[in-house]
Amino acid sequence: MTALQMKRRHFLLATLAIISSARVASAEPRRFRVAFANLNEEPGTRIDGLGFTGAEIRRSFELASRSLPVDMIYYDNGGDAEKALGNAKDAVSSMVDLLIEYNSDARANAEIGRELKTAGIPLLAVNYSIPGAPLYTADHIGAGRIAGQALGKFAKENWSDQTLVAAILGDISDPSASVTARIQGVTEGLRQELPDLSPVHLDSAGHPVRAGGVLSKFLTAQTRRKVLVATLDDASALAAKSAVEAAGRISDCVIVSQGADRSIHGGASEKKEIDPANRGSIVLGSVAYYFDRYGYEILPIALRMLRGEQVPSQTSTKHILISAKNVFLEYPPYDMN
Amino acid sequence: MKHEAIIGIALSALALFGNLGIAHAQSDCKTLVKPSPFGPDDQIGATNRITPAVTKAAAAEIQTGVVVPMAFNLVDGVPLFGTRFTKTILTSASLVPGGEYGKNRLTYMEDTYLSQSHVGTHIDGLGHIGIMDCYYNQTPMGKFVTQNYLKKLGLENLKTFATRGVVIDMVKVFQEAGKLKTNSACRTPCLDGGTVITEADIQAGLKMYNVTLREGDAVFLHTGWGDLFMQFPAENATYAKSAPGIGKAAAAWLAGQRVVLVGTDTWVVEVIPSEDTMEAFPVHAMLLTDNGIHIVENVRTDLIAAEAASSKRATFFLSMTVPKAVGTTGTFVNIEAIR
Repeated sequence: MTALQMKRRHFLLATLAIISSARVASAEPRRFRVAFANLNEEPGTRIDGLGFTGAEIRRSFELASRSLPVDMIYYDNGGDAEKALGNAKDAVSSMVDLLIEYNSDARANAEIGRELKTAGIPLLAVNYSIPGAPLYTADHIGAGRIAGQALGKFAKENWSDQTLVAAILGDISDPSASVTARIQGVTEGLRQELPDLSPVHLDSAGHPVRAGGVLSKFLTAQTRRKVLVATLDDASALAAKSAVEAAGRISDCVIVSQGADRSIHGGASEKKEIDPANRGSIVLGSVAYYFDRYGYEILPIALRMLRGEQVPSQTSTKHILISAKNVFLEYPPYDMN
Repeated sequence: MKHEAIIGIALSALALFGNLGIAHAQSDCKTLVKPSPFGPDDQIGATNRITPAVTKAAAAEIQTGVVVPMAFNLVDGVPLFGTRFTKTILTSASLVPGGEYGKNRLTYMEDTYLSQSHVGTHIDGLGHIGIMDCYYNQTPMGKFVTQNYLKKLGLENLKTFATRGVVIDMVKVFQEAGKLKTNSACRTPCLDGGTVITEADIQAGLKMYNVTLREGDAVFLHTGWGDLFMQFPAENATYAKSAPGIGKAAAAWLAGQRVVLVGTDTWVVEVIPSEDTMEAFPVHAMLLTDNGIHIVENVRTDLIAAEAASSKRATFFLSMTVPKAVGTTGTFVNIEAIR
């Protein structure tokens, strides 16, 4: 091979290498920079009246983003409107491709909506609407209705000839729209099954331990009745169960909860209240809100927006009742035995 | 007598219908599990690929005779999955003065294992994982289980693992790609729990030592997570809470390479939490149930990874024998890399 031939060969090989590397580069999907501003990640702070934490929500985004072409940027709004505004401004100055905003303050949300629109950055709202932005939200009324219906159906099937009383137990005085909607849903669901039954409101003022005491007092006055209890969160459900046991009223009472957080269900070895091996529990189940799966639900919507696809103005969580029958199907454990 | 005969016939008929009922209740395994490439009656799985030619070719890997351990000691306190346990009871009665046998005063000792089989460095057999009641090779497993053992797919069916082993250093791959996110509990660099190992990562690891996978290879991934195992019992909870591991795409790619086993220095081989947290151990089902490819967990990979790094050779002759324990779903094993 002559020197000229060698040069030509090297040139051809180099050209081929450039072409093939360009092909590889163009074959890779475009990656997007997506910011998620979380409601509140302060340890111990419960989210929207349920037992989930901000850390669980953030973790769901971390896990879901592993297999998606997104690079995540995380903000903690800390439950503070001003902080949320500051975070949104930072996201704008960082020129993110999209902001997912979970903030409960309507005034701040309106301002954030304006800022993002001006910057031309798409915005996706979580649980609290923002003008002009698609919304991903829990269906609080629908979830409450599932709980009410479950209690009503149980009573019709098992206590058709008994005198019934129903109670909604939890942070009744919480003025937030989500809690109000859940209470409304429970009431509607119960009446759908048992039209003459109106639930009594038992207020724990946000203290699950107090929920047990409030229910104990109530049970004392309901000596000859079967009691249907809808709790507004799982901690209250567990406190209620203890109260029922202490009162010796296990055969007179059933409980359905809201949330399905990790305090009430867990792995195969953890033996939490909702467990396939505990089918006789008076806690019939808890309505799932899947806050710990938000990343899996919300990031695909964000990606569709970034790819220029139309998304619905509102997407709601598909709530179901998590019970001993389906808990491991919905939340597969990874600690067998 | 006549009444007894009628009752007998009636009971027989009920039993027959009962059996038919059970048969109908079984899942349609042909829709849930892939057929085996080794034929409809196969119970051997991927070890079918370890032919005399494969073993002979693997023997060429023995160049120095150096033996590198790849199993952790099985001892009280090591991390165990869920509520699994392992315990030995020593019988040493003849050591008691006067307990000796014969004029030569022979004594003896032996052990009783009270242990679950999937503990320590262990292999998952084809009877370990299924989809509903359907296991490897579309086997309707409900028909083949007794209280004590499996009547199909037990470990006794496997061929020996006399084949080539390949170690892939995922720590180096992630370091070189500038994407290593380690865990503070690891004393040496490790991939953090939840890190998904992709097909591209595996290929990068193979390229690092110029290895091309061959049919019949045994693949071991070094993630560094095994350092937590070695810190037992201090880091048991961290070790078992999550794990770096292969995702579904990587599992599909490895299956396509026709390997016989995939092992890692984690308790699970696949990434935990799973890529889709609604799925339970999808990689286990892909490898074991759909492809008959064995999984080996809690493998000690740090020594062979270091050996590969220093010698720039990532292949070895695999020494791993599986006891012919009839009807079992898995067993602890010893593994060594012979170089």
